[in-house]
Parts: sequence; C-alpha cells; structure tokens
Amino acid sequence: MWRVLRALRAVAGGALRPGLPALPGAPRRGWAAAAVGGRADTAFPKFNIDFVIALLRQENAKDICAIQLPPEINYCNYFIIVSGSSTRHLHAMAHYMLKMYKHHKEESDPHTVIEGKETDDWLCIDFGSMVVHFMLPETRETYELEKLWTLRSYDDQLAQITPQSLPEDFIFELTPNSSDHLETRT
Amino acid sequence: SVTGTCGAIQKLTRVRVVDNSTLGNTPYHRPPKCIHVYNKSGVGKVGDTILLAIKGEKKKALIVGQKMPGPTMTPKFDSNNVVLIEDNGNPVGTRIKTPIPYILRQREGQFSKVLAIARNFV
Repeated sequence: MWRVLRALRAVAGGALRPGLPALPGAPRRGWAAAAVGGRADTAFPKFNIDFVIALLRQENAKDICAIQLPPEINYCNYFIIVSGSSTRHLHAMAHYMLKMYKHHKEESDPHTVIEGKETDDWLCIDFGSMVVHFMLPETRETYELEKLWTLRSYDDQLAQITPQSLPEDFIFELTPNSSDHLETRT
Repeated sequence: SVTGTCGAIQKLTRVRVVDNSTLGNTPYHRPPKCIHVYNKSGVGKVGDTILLAIKGEKKKALIVGQKMPGPTMTPKFDSNNVVLIEDNGNPVGTRIKTPIPYILRQREGQFSKVLAIARNFV
C-alpha cells in the first residue's frame, strides 16, 4: 500500500496531498513491456513522483512509502522508500528505474548514479527532486528512515543517542589562537 | 627533512565519530586515528573516505566535517567529524547527531545513504 506521510511540523505545512490520480498512460515510444494502465498518453510523461510510484507498483515493490518534505529541508521534495523481496529484485528495480529516467528526462539533470551497487541490501538513486531508497525489509527495520524523516528531531533513535553531555569543567572559549582546541569526549 | 603541507585530515589525525554506532561510541583509551586516506594526495577533505583505527580494528569512514577552512560558502566545523562506513558503503550507525554539509550532495560519490540518516543539514 502506498501512503503519503507529511513531515510533522509545527509550522503550517503545505496543503494535503490529493489522493493518487489514475495511473499515467503508456510511455510514448516503444517499450511495449512498460505499458502502465490502459489510457493513451497525450502529454509527454514527465518524470515526476506519480510516474515513479506507478513504475514501482508495476515492479511489485512492497511497502512503497513516499514522504513529502517541507522546503525548509532543502534536500529534496520527495523521499521514497521501497522494499524488495531479494537482492536481485532490488537491483532489477533500481536498474529499471534508471533506464526509465534516462529515457524520459528532458533537461539534463546530471546526478543519476545507482549508489550501493556493491551492497546487497540497500541501493539508492538520487534524482534531483526525489530520492529513492531500495532496501530489504530487515535493513528497513534497522534504519527506520520513515521515522527519521517524518519526525525530524523528535525521532526516538536520536533521543537515545544523546545522553552524552559535556564534562563539568568544560569551558567554551572563543579565543582565535587557542592551540589545543580538541573536542573532549566523555 | 621537509614535511609536506598539512591538510585537513591525513594519516594519524585524531577524528571524532559522530554517528550512533557502538564501535564509535564505546570509550577506549586511544582516540580513533586515521591511518590511510583513499586519495591521490594523502590529504582528506569533506567527502573523502579514510581508514580509521578504532579499538584495535580497521574501519572505513567518510569525512563529514573538517576544522580546516574549505572553499568559500562551505561550513567549517570545530572538530574533524567522521561517519563509520562498511566496506560496501553502508553506514555502520543508524543516526548522525551533528549537522552534515550540503556539498556532499554535489560531490561525486556514494553519499545518499549518509545523507539519509542525517539529522540536520548545514
């Protein structure tokens, strides 16, 4: 099931994302195997979030999670996390996504490399306005990225790592010529 | 003898591990030190991988902050920050507590995973 989570912000965020529209039609050129939905496509299929989600559904990706990030985090607009059933499935999805991107991109957006090709549980592609992560379910549970990106600072894993406090005799001096300016560790 | 020019992070610099991995956070009587920089010059800047000696083990790491001032409009940190990484590129910890610079995104390399577990950006 794909669900859209908005980042929980105290500041009024953007409008509620409308429900997923009907799947876009088949891409214009060849690619008979990539027929998505039955509607004929008049406009050029832009590589936007709906297209990506449709592709992922077509690839039998499990647990598609798309998070819309507020513009204060200037990382990207959409953060997508996808589970796959096996390493080969992840690799296949990632390569297919890359192929479709190269096919459909108009303005040259140069960053598209698949990161994590040597790993067997976490691949990642960074399109300019979107980031897609392909993980195995175990890896997903270890990292819990959805929690981190929806609750930015109120994440529970973050709360567990900050009992480290400065020692009592720590003096923060802003002298420009301090020679031994080492970070003290407790 | 003549020593080469000092750079941001080179061999035998002490670094600070900023993720929440057990290897990086358990106290040890020696601080983690860099023993090799994977670079043509032996000097590591933000975004380079280095080899770290932590608790008697070798571990790869990614530099996310340096004390030396970098190019203009890039942040300078008060400590040389480093994130532990496996050999295949997966981060060892699951969260990063310090801010991470945005320039990692433009640099060529496998940084999206480290950016994905970061807490806030600079």
